[in-house]
Amino acid sequence: MSAFTEAVLIQTGINVLLALGYWIAVSTGKYSFGHAAFMAIGAYGSSILTLKMGWPLPLALIAGAVVSAVAGALVGWIALRLSMLYLAIITLVFSELLITLLNQWDYVGGGSGLLGMTGTTVTMVLICVVLVVAYLILLTRSRMGLAYEAIREDERAAMGSGVKITLVAVGAFATSAAVTGIAGGLAAHQQLIINPGLYGPQQSLIIILFCVFGGVQYFWGAAIGAIVLGLLPIYFNGLADWYQIIYGLLFVVLMIVRPQGLIGRSRAGIFPVGLSLRRAAPEPEPRVREEESVG
Amino acid sequence: MAEPLLQATGLSKSFGSVQALEDIDVTLHEGTIHGIVGPNGAGKTTLLSVMSGYLLPNAGTVQLRGRDITGLTPQRRVPLGVVRTFQNIRLFGGLSVLENVMIGQHAHARTGLSSLLPFRTASDRRLLAEAKDTLELFDLARYGKRPVSQLPYGVQKQLEMARAMATRPKVLLLDEPAAGMTTEGRGQLSTRIRRLRDEGVSVVIVEHDMDVIAKVCDEVTVLNFGRRIMHGEPLEVLSSAEVRTAYLGT
Repeated sequence: MSAFTEAVLIQTGINVLLALGYWIAVSTGKYSFGHAAFMAIGAYGSSILTLKMGWPLPLALIAGAVVSAVAGALVGWIALRLSMLYLAIITLVFSELLITLLNQWDYVGGGSGLLGMTGTTVTMVLICVVLVVAYLILLTRSRMGLAYEAIREDERAAMGSGVKITLVAVGAFATSAAVTGIAGGLAAHQQLIINPGLYGPQQSLIIILFCVFGGVQYFWGAAIGAIVLGLLPIYFNGLADWYQIIYGLLFVVLMIVRPQGLIGRSRAGIFPVGLSLRRAAPEPEPRVREEESVG
Repeated sequence: MAEPLLQATGLSKSFGSVQALEDIDVTLHEGTIHGIVGPNGAGKTTLLSVMSGYLLPNAGTVQLRGRDITGLTPQRRVPLGVVRTFQNIRLFGGLSVLENVMIGQHAHARTGLSSLLPFRTASDRRLLAEAKDTLELFDLARYGKRPVSQLPYGVQKQLEMARAMATRPKVLLLDEPAAGMTTEGRGQLSTRIRRLRDEGVSVVIVEHDMDVIAKVCDEVTVLNFGRRIMHGEPLEVLSSAEVRTAYLGT
């Protein structure tokens, strides 16, 4: 395998992990706008362990994922009980805060970041993808997955069926953060160098677009979105400056022609950003709203 | 008389300057059906929301067999046996009838990480069979895998009740179950509610249809502008002058 092919495979695998990780949160109807923060936690966490403590990469990756999951649980616990708009703001602010913190933290090189991480192999990435896919297959067939869907469909009805919505959603968010953290760690140990600037809103947006492009109804839709979108810049780099314009146009066309993404049945309510925002935004917090005021 | 199953005492709730409930007492005895009637805006749904945990009252308590449950969320009341339906149906629209009912079983099933294991335990199989029985009972099995948002209104109402029953309630709080139903549908509904009572489920029913109220209720509480204006047996209540005035105006 040429070094180029190898790099492309690793990059694609990491993109797939990012999309699948994000999909776990999305399957409960929760859209984070700062998921790159969990990549950063996984990347910095594992890099510190391999560079400064001499840990083997697989162990460092797992540790990074655990830290990322804890951070995800904390952010989720604060944000997930609020409406979608607040979740978007809190996740975005969290990622910005983290970047600021990393920029100021000399131990991890501040703004210039860390240098010299290596060790990510195609096999390692492949194992991670297989494990996550296996988890998702089991998840989507389980009652836990059903509870995720219940929360996505109607939180109030889910509460009324005995689903502990905050606990379940926080669990999903933490799992999502863990997978994203692993992807971040793998990426860091492929690209040799990391710095806080890599994990800004731009990167968070890329992860969201993987999912939206592929479709959020099935997890493999998100994976396909990541593969297609991830390969575009590699094989169309001849387009140079035109690339961004075409990228943007692609999404405009997609939103019009297939709002549900590449994969998935067309159905009202499945399209994430537009409809969910409209549905969630005007509702105040759950325990004080009721239809009685009009009826 | 025996200890009441569900007792609401001195409930008050206001939304801004609107007093939706004012010092309301409602007592549900085991094995009975308790109707809540009153004109629009009387506070019926608010009362149901307070009893099911969707709203916190400003004052007063809700007790289940003597245990104070006023501060518990709906998801904590469901395992104790208190469940509600909604006036404007709230189903999981993209899921099938079976999946909707299975979510109703959430509190009784394995739903943590262990539910991911790729095999079914005896209790999983029993719950699945139970869910299918519930579908049969409510005549819903034939709707298969279609997303339930595509099903007719009457069927969705049935399904909401089926999902509520899947939680194995002791107290079923129904919010206008007959609204939008045909005459035939209302007849079936009355029969069904009485049958549920005979099987040991106690029911609080908010309803505008006086036929249904008269047919099924053992006791009726009348609300008007957030106050309880009368309480008693259905015929006595429905024929009282005060209640007629509240409904028809003076």
